[in-house]
Amino acid sequence: MAALASQMVAHVGASCFFSSRRSGFNAKKQFRVRADGDRKAMIRKENNGWKVDFSGEKPPTPLLDTVNYPIHMKNLSVQDLEQLAAELRADIVYTVSNTGGHLSASLGVVELTVALHHVFNTPDDRIIWDVGHQAYPHKILTGRRSRMHTIRQTSGLAGFPKRDESVYDAFGVGHSSTSISAGLGMAVGRDLLGKKNHVVSVIGDGAMTAGQAYEAMNNSGYLDSNLIVVLNDNKQVSLPTATIDGPATPVGALSGALTKLQASTKFRKLREAAKNITKQIGGPAHEVAAKVDEYARGMISASGSTLFEELGLYYIGPVDGHNVEDLVTIFQKVKAMPAPGPVLIHIVTEKGKGYPPAEAAADKMHGVVKFDPKTGKQFKSKPSALAYTQYFAEALIKEAEVDDKIVAIHAAMGGGTGLNYFQKKFPDRCFDVGIAEQHAVTFAAGLATEGLKPFCAIYSSFLQRGYDQVVHDVDLQKIPVRFALDRAGLVGADGPTHCGAFDITYMACLPNMVVMAPADEAELMHMIATAAAIDDRPSCFRFPRGSGIGVPLPLNNKGIPLEIGKGRILMEGNRVALLGYGSMVQTCVKAADSLRNHGITATVADARFCKPLDAELIRSLANEHEILITVEEGSIGGFGSHVCHFLTLNGLLDKNLKLRSMVLPDRYIDHGSPQDQIEEAGLSSRHISATVLSLLGRPKEALQLQ
Amino acid sequence: MSCGLFPGTAVPPLNLRHRTASPAVPWSVLPLKRNSLRAATLKARAAVEEGGRLGASFYQLLGISEGGSLEEIKRAYKQMARKYHPDVSPPDLAEEYTRRFIEVQEAYETLSDPGRRAMYDRDLARGLQFALSSKRRFDQEFQERSMWKDRWQDQLELLKRKSTYDNSTANLSWGARMRRQRAAGESST
Repeated sequence: MAALASQMVAHVGASCFFSSRRSGFNAKKQFRVRADGDRKAMIRKENNGWKVDFSGEKPPTPLLDTVNYPIHMKNLSVQDLEQLAAELRADIVYTVSNTGGHLSASLGVVELTVALHHVFNTPDDRIIWDVGHQAYPHKILTGRRSRMHTIRQTSGLAGFPKRDESVYDAFGVGHSSTSISAGLGMAVGRDLLGKKNHVVSVIGDGAMTAGQAYEAMNNSGYLDSNLIVVLNDNKQVSLPTATIDGPATPVGALSGALTKLQASTKFRKLREAAKNITKQIGGPAHEVAAKVDEYARGMISASGSTLFEELGLYYIGPVDGHNVEDLVTIFQKVKAMPAPGPVLIHIVTEKGKGYPPAEAAADKMHGVVKFDPKTGKQFKSKPSALAYTQYFAEALIKEAEVDDKIVAIHAAMGGGTGLNYFQKKFPDRCFDVGIAEQHAVTFAAGLATEGLKPFCAIYSSFLQRGYDQVVHDVDLQKIPVRFALDRAGLVGADGPTHCGAFDITYMACLPNMVVMAPADEAELMHMIATAAAIDDRPSCFRFPRGSGIGVPLPLNNKGIPLEIGKGRILMEGNRVALLGYGSMVQTCVKAADSLRNHGITATVADARFCKPLDAELIRSLANEHEILITVEEGSIGGFGSHVCHFLTLNGLLDKNLKLRSMVLPDRYIDHGSPQDQIEEAGLSSRHISATVLSLLGRPKEALQLQ
Repeated sequence: MSCGLFPGTAVPPLNLRHRTASPAVPWSVLPLKRNSLRAATLKARAAVEEGGRLGASFYQLLGISEGGSLEEIKRAYKQMARKYHPDVSPPDLAEEYTRRFIEVQEAYETLSDPGRRAMYDRDLARGLQFALSSKRRFDQEFQERSMWKDRWQDQLELLKRKSTYDNSTANLSWGARMRRQRAAGESST
């Protein structure tokens, strides 16, 4: 007993001595890299961490200025790394305040990025960032700091990691939950080729709700290849992470498990006992030690980690994700092991950490436009009309008020799809399934079989994930699910990963689907009413990112169902007919206006429906005009192809008609401003007018168009 | 989790009952480990920092009674949030308002969750002055986090041991086979 007590005292005494010596030792070194001797530094070390003063000016970053590539970080001490993290934070806030983009996700992983690049040797070691919107510090540290002011702009850096952009971006991401799969592929490839590099996949707790993450973990547990998965847990499972009223509670059972992992207070003494046992027994035959370790493992592991253990990943954590020293220690130890197999390191971070306005905001300032760094206030311009998303939400609410069978489903995008408003009004009729589009579609189909009217609001590019479910579970069985495809067409700064180019093609080829697209916000409201009324087959409608054009809305925001398969003519003319689908109709109107200056009166028609096509309208356009141009903001195989097919089958091309289909080109359009992207795609009103003029034999005028 | 791991070996029965950790045990009684010592000094430092604000409980902060219902809490939170939100605060008071806002948010998060509210009420009832809003949470969080460090250090140890004998021929997984092949290739060259 006395021996034990003295041992304890010695232990305590020694640790005191060490800790005080350590702090005394470095007290002199604390300010060794500082921008300005006499002025109070903007980034300075205080007792409980680094503090950054966010003013509007460019922050002095003496240490970050010396780091252009990760190799320059290798010789930094842990204190230097902490200073580097503080400077990185200041730099990110300053940059994003000037360009807009994703802010808080990057702030939450600053320490993780610094630790990863310090310990691992990129680009030989691969780091894969899931989704990629948190990769801003990664880009800064890997040679792109000088170009950060161009991020998400035309010809600038992409907002997500991109392999074409830098060799340090190991995999292109944008949709979530792909990092573990890609990482496993790289790990297995490395093994087959006999290489020795490391592979690290960083995935968030939101992305963990998708099935693909489990498919990947299951496979990696089976293959047992060396792979490090970092689970970045900030308790933010949906985007943006707030409802109208305040922070959103995380969805799904997984969040509960992760919370339990963090809060477990049990087993502390059991763990001590287990350690003693293994110490007493350890030494002899490997199998015995392995068995003991296995039992001990169950005792020392956190409760709830069995989920990952059962999948075959070795669980380590939870770890404080903002403590650079801890992170560096863990990564170094795991890197040094010869055969760890797949390892999952669970780190806990705070989204927006280090920037008080982001920490305080309900949505944590996930995606922002330009803002003022001192206060965090965003400079949101007031558009004359609201966004299409908002009109969608309001019209759906109005429909749901009269019909209580209407329910709404989204996949972790309450803010992006506008369904947060719906949820506020009808909390029991709005379902957020997490990042699980496949499940959302079949779930909606199940709801519809019981007689409810589900509206599935999923981005056009994200529905690609649930395509088989759309075909097999919804269309094949002719179940009346309504799909609201937001972000259809080009989307601007997010780039090709989020571009909704293919939805006309993949929806209109399905036999039972009704496919429609509104030309403006009033039409959108009517189409929502139409979709609500279609009860015998599935239907979908697409609308773009951006604001409406300011047309008068129907009374009370309640639409009137349209006649299915009937388009409309907006302007009468002769010789030339422009048949637009969706928001392109407005571009056609602009083109027709400019053509009038050249003495051409074009007919402009809005097809409204791609399936079923308005046969009469198309027939009359084909018979009464010499030139027919179809315009859509979609890839080949969509509206234009359907019109063409119809015309050929009905012999309407056998006479004198000149048919041209204007679609998105056969390549991916890079990120940029919406105007730049439309120009790049060749779908502006100028391009349409030029096409008409060329067809009329007036190519010189076409070239001279402004 | 039975303690009779190997039949025949005498493993002393572990009397764990008197050592179960519970949130009610004050700091002074727990055995002093390295992390606890650090916790004590940091606690003192935090107390000095918090010296300005006197013991305002979450209820006082939100301006409601201790038996307030969820609706009352929500209403009070919304009112305070609207008042102290950084976007609508006057520019010279921005920093203080932001701090207040964070506190109000903390209060709401604790009181709106029935489990956490129960724990909070229990501590409050014990008359602990530590019912200062962020200080209490700081302590709680620190206690949790220092346990985390112990835990992951153990996990790393175990992984290291497992990793050294993992490549034995007993492990038939694909990954282990590839690692053995690579090791054999390296040793032969």
